[in-house]
Amino acid sequence: MHPKCKSHAAALRKAVALGGLLLAVALPHAANAQKPTPVSADMLLNAGMDPNNWLMAGRDYAGTRFSPLASVTTRNVKRLVPVYSFSLGTLDAQNTTPLVVDGIMYVTAAHAKIYAVDARSGKEIWQFSHPLPDNIGKMMCCDVGNRGAAVYGDKVYFATPDAHVIALDQATGKVVWDVTVGDWTKAQTMTVAPLVVKGKVIVGMSGAEFPTRLWIDALDAETGTQVWRRYTIPAPGEPGADTWGDTDPEAGTYGGGSTWITGSYDAALDTLYWSTGNPNPDWDGMGRIGDNLYTNSTLALNPDDGSIKFHYQYTPWDVWDFDGVNETILADIGDKKVWLHGDRNGFLYNIDRTDGKFIWAKEISKVNWATGFTPEGRPIVDKDKVPTYDHKATNVCPASEGGKWWNPMSYSPKNMMVVVPSREICVDILAGKSERVEGKYNLGIAEADWIKGHGQLVGFDATTGEKKWQVVAPSPFTSGVMTTAGGLAFAGTPEGEFKAFDIKSGEELWSYQTGSGIVGSPISFAIEGKQYIAVPSGWGGWTGWATWGGKGGAPHLKDMRKGGTIFVFALFDR
Amino acid sequence: MRKYPIATLLLAVAALSHAEGITNPLTPDPAIVAEGKKLFNRTGCLACHGNNARGAVGPDLTDDEWLRAPSDEMVFNTIKNGRQGTAMSGFGSDLTDEQIWTIITWVRDENRKRKDTGK
Repeated sequence: MHPKCKSHAAALRKAVALGGLLLAVALPHAANAQKPTPVSADMLLNAGMDPNNWLMAGRDYAGTRFSPLASVTTRNVKRLVPVYSFSLGTLDAQNTTPLVVDGIMYVTAAHAKIYAVDARSGKEIWQFSHPLPDNIGKMMCCDVGNRGAAVYGDKVYFATPDAHVIALDQATGKVVWDVTVGDWTKAQTMTVAPLVVKGKVIVGMSGAEFPTRLWIDALDAETGTQVWRRYTIPAPGEPGADTWGDTDPEAGTYGGGSTWITGSYDAALDTLYWSTGNPNPDWDGMGRIGDNLYTNSTLALNPDDGSIKFHYQYTPWDVWDFDGVNETILADIGDKKVWLHGDRNGFLYNIDRTDGKFIWAKEISKVNWATGFTPEGRPIVDKDKVPTYDHKATNVCPASEGGKWWNPMSYSPKNMMVVVPSREICVDILAGKSERVEGKYNLGIAEADWIKGHGQLVGFDATTGEKKWQVVAPSPFTSGVMTTAGGLAFAGTPEGEFKAFDIKSGEELWSYQTGSGIVGSPISFAIEGKQYIAVPSGWGGWTGWATWGGKGGAPHLKDMRKGGTIFVFALFDR
Repeated sequence: MRKYPIATLLLAVAALSHAEGITNPLTPDPAIVAEGKKLFNRTGCLACHGNNARGAVGPDLTDDEWLRAPSDEMVFNTIKNGRQGTAMSGFGSDLTDEQIWTIITWVRDENRKRKDTGK
């Protein structure tokens, strides 16, 4: 939050109220669609109040994925029709969130491609394809996907599966700089959408299904030079290094702790919030008995040097692959500055973002691995749900994918609602001892059997955590969610249905079949006063939960069709 | 001769790694089948193709739908060299030819068992 803004929430409310006026005054930018607008630090700081653009993956530094645009409403959403579709040119997981800057869309695709597109017509302006090593696929647990780009100055930034971070000229798509931040042959890979904060490109790493020790990097936006690196697992001798048990001296050295979901930033507190993933091996905790800091946590970081101010850990000693890497949404609720986080462990959290103190946690889906929380916010674990080598934990709820999987939720400050893409799927797990070899999977699993379940979209009161409504579906909602000032929540399904719901009631108001499963996130933008809504379609990602072992949590999703496309919608002009 | 030196070289390199007209030299002996499953899991194949190769993000390898019931040659070359433009990497640097055939033997056995049992 910018120091100039006394209250982000108040400013946002004002932006919503003045939505129509802002649309009008922003016209000069939007009218010149083919000349890219450089993105200033102030534009990023005030992204939440800019109705026309979508300037970063989470839309604003708070990560709300809430659009103040209100032309498309609960009353007229049935008139939403496709304006164009844009082929992403690749198969596999289209996990992206497109960006739009004054009429130009910047969108990444699976297999290290990125496009600039005239956001009004769908005409390609440029494309860039980073050549990938032939064998990159076997170093990525969950497909050769990408979660989006970042824009700043006159550059567009994106990360590649083989751990390059690349800055492209915003106008031409030519490479300005290209730095390598990890060794993909050791499974240090990247799918993250970068976040630009104070002139630095912040990126995180994938790879915790392999023996790795992962990090968050800050790179100088002009040159790509590393400014700082924050490993998520303390080195021997550092505080927290003693939380990895005493049986395996290298447990932390290869303990994972990935960072592949984009963080959030509070300018007033000058704090960067970035979450961390599971310890490795995923399901075998026998060699790492302890809290395994700082896995499954949100780290509050100094953006200037990457030092840790404080943290909150969602799942100490994770033996279920709950992978707490999910996003933090910054919200001002009552007199509290908090972050909201939906975790794969099944809980929606409200945490004080000034000090990391636990406020409340509510069940998104059925939870039985924990029976409650201590007053300090530590989960109380049901030991019967802990898999070991000789104890098969049965009917563990939720399964590894949640609760809420990685697909981002959305917070509407207008309605004070959080809408969470979710599922009700449980699992039987037997831990197994596996060999630790760099560049080879180390899952620590002997048996896993997902139990057939169903999907759901859940609307929560952000103030109390009360579940206000629930939409039950045959399959999990595998897209990110967007809420809008038009009173809508948009989400997509594995079957390819892109849907709009009334945010107050959960009533489905509109649906469009996109032809392939939706695993990316929708956005909204405006050009010359006209509101558009875009969604990536293209099935892929780790779908073992659906069909594992011929059974799985949603076995009807076997052999879903692939193919990447961006669909863009607007109200039908009568 | 000087017109296509690079193409000739590429063809020669491709011929070295891309086996043609080959069939599985192994028989479905129970020990080989069991070793094939171990290799499948240890190599990480299960991460994409699922437990017992029944499919996840990668296709189910045990049903007849998988790529129109591929030949031994096609499966061998796919495991060894990967499939360009997809997430399927080549495992020629991780597995010997015999180990690849061992995995294929297990996958074929799973396919046979599935047909026999109808599950």
